[in-house]
Amino acid sequence: MSDLSEQVGEDKTGTRFWAGLALPGMAWLAVFFVLPFYVILCIAFGSVDPIFQTAAPEWNPLQWNTAAFEFVLEGLFTSGAAFQTVFLRTLLYVGIATALSLCIAYPVAYYIARYGGRWKGLLLAGIIAPFFISYLMRMLAWINLLQDDGWVNDVLVWVGILDVPRNWLDGRASSVILGLVYGYVPFMILPLYAFLDRIDRSLLEAARDLGASPFQAFRMVTFPLSMPAILAGIAIIALPMFGDYYTPDLLSGAPQTSLIGNQIVLYIRGGQQIPVGAALVVVLMLFLTVLMGYYIYATARAQRRLGS
Amino acid sequence: MTLHPRESRYGRRELLQRGAAGAFLLSSMGSLLAACGGSDGGSGADLTFATPENPVTWEIFEDNPMIASGLEPESGTLRIYNWNGYLWPKIKKDFAKEYGVKVEETFFSTTDEAVAKISSGAVDFDVFFPTTDRVGRLILGKSLQPLNGDYLPNLANVWASLRDPWYDKGSQYTVPYATWTTGIGYRTDKIAASPAKLANPYEIYWDEQAKGKLYLLDDSRDAPAHMLLKNGIADINTENPDDIALAKAELKSLYDQNVKTSTDDYTNLPEGKAWVHQMWSGSAISAQYYLPDGVGTDALGYWFPQDGRGVIGSDMLAIPSNAKNPVLAHHFLNYLLDAKHGYDNFVNYTGYQPPFTALNPDKLVADGVVPKNLRTAIVRESDFDVASQFTELTPTGATEWQNAWAEFKAGV
Repeated sequence: MSDLSEQVGEDKTGTRFWAGLALPGMAWLAVFFVLPFYVILCIAFGSVDPIFQTAAPEWNPLQWNTAAFEFVLEGLFTSGAAFQTVFLRTLLYVGIATALSLCIAYPVAYYIARYGGRWKGLLLAGIIAPFFISYLMRMLAWINLLQDDGWVNDVLVWVGILDVPRNWLDGRASSVILGLVYGYVPFMILPLYAFLDRIDRSLLEAARDLGASPFQAFRMVTFPLSMPAILAGIAIIALPMFGDYYTPDLLSGAPQTSLIGNQIVLYIRGGQQIPVGAALVVVLMLFLTVLMGYYIYATARAQRRLGS
Repeated sequence: MTLHPRESRYGRRELLQRGAAGAFLLSSMGSLLAACGGSDGGSGADLTFATPENPVTWEIFEDNPMIASGLEPESGTLRIYNWNGYLWPKIKKDFAKEYGVKVEETFFSTTDEAVAKISSGAVDFDVFFPTTDRVGRLILGKSLQPLNGDYLPNLANVWASLRDPWYDKGSQYTVPYATWTTGIGYRTDKIAASPAKLANPYEIYWDEQAKGKLYLLDDSRDAPAHMLLKNGIADINTENPDDIALAKAELKSLYDQNVKTSTDDYTNLPEGKAWVHQMWSGSAISAQYYLPDGVGTDALGYWFPQDGRGVIGSDMLAIPSNAKNPVLAHHFLNYLLDAKHGYDNFVNYTGYQPPFTALNPDKLVADGVVPKNLRTAIVRESDFDVASQFTELTPTGATEWQNAWAEFKAGV
């Protein structure tokens, strides 16, 4: 008995010890996420200084002013209004870019995990290498590649796909989506690789032994197993894409390809309607929270299925 | 709906705390500041500010005095708050050497960002670069200190009209730094048409050849201003809903031209991203240095109406009220107003012209500072008599314009 109670006691201190280790992380979250988020709320529900026209946050929730939210929600739920148009466009671009990223990332991750062999490390390093250069610089490089006399046009004309150079930077959706895919696809490859690499080969061998063709083995074993990784990859790249504003700015600059992030920047960086910009941020976050909620639910379900 | 500052937040007490500003204007210039009763009985601020037709002499507040004459400059670090690329680094070095001090420059990217920081009082810069559309608020909020003219003898180099400008009669809080016009830049080697030859020069934005190579300035005031002027509306500060709707419709009609917005006009045009670009005159002068090899400066064109009836403006220098080195800052302002220093800063770096009487357009062209075909980018003092200048908008007007601009930028 005494042994047991001692053991329990030990476990308790152990729990406290491990909980203590989480403290710095929690403090970090509180200081650098919860607090700033509260400030954003106070700005969204606040007003502007009548003299300087700068944001005047309202710290007391009892006195919050909902005008900015009403304005944003009205714009989001009025068909053809600016906010709704931009939001739907953002949804579309992010959807296409995420789907394309998955189509590119899955085979790459699969190849490295299954056939990378001793080159695995090198291949992974190759995928991570572009990250040594800042996102901005990489997008600026694309401007050079895509411009009238850039390499993209040179190659396409040389191969014969195009007769004359195309103006890829004249404000087209395809350039923006290309930029998004290029910028975020490595974030998709890494979690997929990490997961696919850990899939037990014996499961596949068992599937083959039971008469599955290689494709059937992939469809019925590998793919369902990698579902959580696919969802994680989608969440990891879709969330930052929703807030992206510099990719459309750099690769297009046209109003017709602007994203919700551009509207947020417009309202926050200039003029006296900073609460509207902050309200847009909050609404976007709420939307993403719903997406994240679905992600958590879906991964939990997938894990349960795998477990059973 | 429109957003309006919550009036209850800033009642009489708040305004009094901020100084006698409101009181002064109420008593002596009732038309400039009308206090409007809030629904809850508190009075809020509905500020109207200086316009060229209605110049303002700002009050010198007792609790925000100017420095005394005859003081020795401080030996601390002179801290400058400026746009990036708006001051020749060598000027800073030379000044630092001459006065035996350090000079440090911090950059902001929008006036709003700068005003937010300066007005919060959390930063203590010695020199700031305000614009006409915000300077009144900074003065009323006591964020700028009155200047002591004894330290600024070089102000005599400036055009008479800008020594006594409408936004700050008697140059009590500011001195002029640079002048500019908003015109149209175009590539003479790519576009057959030229604005000057069109019946309505602004029609160049709708030119077939400009399609996909067309940029407007990414600015909620500058871009619509050209749409207004195209339709013969010279009041670019109009708050008439019909005018705003018209400007918005004109902007949107440029979607078919694949219009884009940017403020990198000084590189977009020479590098060939744009063939027609709404442009600031200073950018037109700088653009020549960004042309690719083998393309001569005659490939660049800049149009500003010959009769001067376009968009014009002037930027200025001021000293925040919480500056740590106000005497040194006065010396720096005077240093920049020196004919040679101001000229060097203009021709070697910024491309934005100081309003000096000694600057002669013919000489600028003869000296090769400004290519002959860009002579239109030189700002003339007489232009200020007829051109349109941006002034403060009322909160309602500012909201309407910003929402119209946001709608255009949404690509609806």
